[in-house]
Amino acid sequence: MGARDRLDRLRERANIANRDADEPTALAAVVLAISLLLLSPIAWVLLEASEMPTGRLVELVLSETTTTVTVNTLLLVAAVTVLSILIGVPLALLTVQTDLPFKRFWTVTAALPLVVPSYIGAFAFVSAFGPRGELADLLAPLGIQSIPTIYGLHGTILVLTLFTYPYVFLTTRASLISFDGTVVEAARSLNASRWDAFKRVTLPQILPGIAAGALLVALYALSDFGTPAIMRYDVFTRMIFVEEQARNLDAAAVLSLLLLVLAMAILAVESRVGAGRDGAYVSSGDRRPGEIQLGYWKLPAMGFCALIATLCLALPIGILGLWLVRSADATQAGFVFGAQHVINSVTLAAAAAGLCVVVALPIAYLSARGDGTLSSLPERVSYVGYAVPGVVIGLSLIYLALRFVPFLYQSLFVLVFAYVVRFLPQAVGTTESSVLQVDPSYIEAARSLGYGPITAFRKVVLPLVAPGIAAGAALVFLTTMKELPATLLLRPVGFETIVTYIWLVRGAAYQGQAAIPALILVGVSGLSMLIILRQES
Amino acid sequence: MTNDTSGSSRRRFLALGGATAAGSLAGCAGLFSSENNQVGISLSDFRGSGPLVDSRGQPDGTSIADLPDLEGSLTVYLGGGEGGLYVELLDLFEQAYDNFSVSHRLDSSSSLANSIIGESEAGATEADLFMSVDAGSLGAVANAGATQSLPSEALNAVPGSFQDGDGRWVGFAGRARAIPYNTNQLSPSDIPNKVSEFPNTAALEGTMGWAPSYGAFQSFITAMRLNKSDDAARSWLNAMQDHGVTEYGNEFAVSNSAANGELAAGFANHYYSLRVKSARQNAPLDLYFTEGDAGSLVNVSGLEILSGTEKSELAGNFVRHVLSAEAQEFFATRAFAYPMIGGVQPVGGLPRIDDLNPPDIDLTELADVSGTVDLMRETGVL
Repeated sequence: MGARDRLDRLRERANIANRDADEPTALAAVVLAISLLLLSPIAWVLLEASEMPTGRLVELVLSETTTTVTVNTLLLVAAVTVLSILIGVPLALLTVQTDLPFKRFWTVTAALPLVVPSYIGAFAFVSAFGPRGELADLLAPLGIQSIPTIYGLHGTILVLTLFTYPYVFLTTRASLISFDGTVVEAARSLNASRWDAFKRVTLPQILPGIAAGALLVALYALSDFGTPAIMRYDVFTRMIFVEEQARNLDAAAVLSLLLLVLAMAILAVESRVGAGRDGAYVSSGDRRPGEIQLGYWKLPAMGFCALIATLCLALPIGILGLWLVRSADATQAGFVFGAQHVINSVTLAAAAAGLCVVVALPIAYLSARGDGTLSSLPERVSYVGYAVPGVVIGLSLIYLALRFVPFLYQSLFVLVFAYVVRFLPQAVGTTESSVLQVDPSYIEAARSLGYGPITAFRKVVLPLVAPGIAAGAALVFLTTMKELPATLLLRPVGFETIVTYIWLVRGAAYQGQAAIPALILVGVSGLSMLIILRQES
Repeated sequence: MTNDTSGSSRRRFLALGGATAAGSLAGCAGLFSSENNQVGISLSDFRGSGPLVDSRGQPDGTSIADLPDLEGSLTVYLGGGEGGLYVELLDLFEQAYDNFSVSHRLDSSSSLANSIIGESEAGATEADLFMSVDAGSLGAVANAGATQSLPSEALNAVPGSFQDGDGRWVGFAGRARAIPYNTNQLSPSDIPNKVSEFPNTAALEGTMGWAPSYGAFQSFITAMRLNKSDDAARSWLNAMQDHGVTEYGNEFAVSNSAANGELAAGFANHYYSLRVKSARQNAPLDLYFTEGDAGSLVNVSGLEILSGTEKSELAGNFVRHVLSAEAQEFFATRAFAYPMIGGVQPVGGLPRIDDLNPPDIDLTELADVSGTVDLMRETGVL
């Protein structure tokens, strides 16, 4: 080897070293810019809150109602999160790691409830189990005059859990699928019991997934307005809504800040749970462990899957069907539902999903690969928008758009940006848990073979995290399809979507006319879910 | 305009259901014309149907046929819009004129008022008109200096108590606060004629319902504050809660529950009961009106022209169309609202608007919802 060659080699190595040093900085700069943009709506909240006179502010914060809704909200969030884990994790284990019959079918039914907007779920539950609902009508001839009320805390918990647990199911499932099953077999061969193997090998690996899903559930429960409102349970979002309707924007902003404090507390709790990530990348791959034989548990397991599917899918779809049948001869409001509504919804949702995936990747990558709390800060920041009720994001973006980008006011850009602010963490969470499972030595191996950082990322990391990215895109697509409050505030004049149509006819009490759009919404979102589930395996 | 001429214009309008005389009318050839086989629209297109509407007389007032054509395009922010009913009216106007189109944005009145004020401050008004079910929202926009004055023809057609004192907004449909009650459980004599007496009335103990998060209910409490005092409203809310009252999400639910017997009585806008009755004629439901207090507040849906518009004339003409005999008939028969012009009667045996005894309140002052919400929160009602 000539001296010249050696020199070239050295130079090359130095270049690689240089690039390695630049790469995190460049990544961090991009992520910082994104984070600032994502936080911009909070600026309005702070500005508006600061306009409240101190006297009124103290009175509001210390009021009995504020205390009550804080307690109510925390109760709701805790209960919904725990129950979602208790439903979502077993369903994920059953459909990935056992010999459950009709696994594909149960996978689909377990994931699908997420496509049902929880406010439609709530309407369905009230129609079915409310006073003078279907169940009450069925029981009345039997002499049963009243049934326990569906309204209140337990009804709200029930509905929110049933339509949000799929977050836990999907993230847990994604972890289970991309994790190396041979490790479990190794543990078993070392005489670990099945439970021990689960606890010591499987659980640490899927914990980030469970935590990511649980976090989404908790923040959804925190920021949802429709379900508690329909189920008549007083929470923060309802208080914010009341203030907004009274044009007390300062009070709405102060309450939003209190809500954000709760969100940050939840994020802190999740950070601690997710902190044990070091053991996460033992090894991974798509080698599945041997299936767990359910034996006698097959029937109860299927019964569990069927029960959840009945409550989450059969019931709301059945009620929508009833509305449809009954509305056949009822008076119709003059609103025509057309293909344009569907096209508008799908376009918006696709745009939001695409943009979220692109934005999520650097954030997730930095958080998973960077060291120290600083590098995971942007990931935490991305959850903030998710915890803010849609109406607050909407108000904030109206203000900011008018001030700083008036030419974009009432354009779809602002609306899509609102969706990104609200739903980005869904993509970040799923992407990050897949990135975490990529053994860093793979990348080192690729780099040592002479690939640049971007090529190494594209060739090694991207294929491995693709399931996570796809799941994230699907989640953003679904939630955007369902989103109502920010859509109402920010849609351009004359631009109507499936949900704004449902809102319109529901407001007019023509619920029969909401049935077809609602079924289409569920159908379109359901299709996207099927595509995602297919890509996973 | 005297009754005589409007009467004759009405007859003319009706005669134009056919195509014969269309060409002879200057200025309205576009409307109801048979040129290009255009179908046009007639009174029956505006009028609703059903048991409450059948056998109504003809409406009186300025006919659309007597107004200048609507030509051009407008953007209207629709606040509330009675479940989209106002959209249908906009559609009717579009059908009536070849060269008129109107785009709208439908949302809650408060949200739109917030948007309009924000747009106005930034000098980027999107809409030409704000059409809202809530005088408070109209007042908030007007007080923010985001409106311009309305044409005198429009203001003259509507009683002074149903428009802004400075002519910045005008009512086009009214609704009365009322007490829907179940006729199997209560008779009118069981109900006091002042809401202040309700908490002392044994027949109403634990049997009433309200929807405190609903804007109209908050306006009712605002009216109570204006008519009496904050303290009176506070103690009334506390007393009602002690007396036992069930909370609902909206006032249709309150009215429906009274019809079902779940409640003996409730607090609601008058038209929700008419909607229940229209669907279920035999429902044991009737309306009681209190006298001279907040319980008999008559609030209006109104219109205002936004200061940012460059189409003042068209917008003014649009307002006059909304106050035409046909459009007023539309509100009376489809929304079961109180019409704002003298020539059109309310449906369903409702007392005439002149027979009601509403409190003496400037409706724009209902804009102070925020004080009401503070008060309702203090008392734990919200």
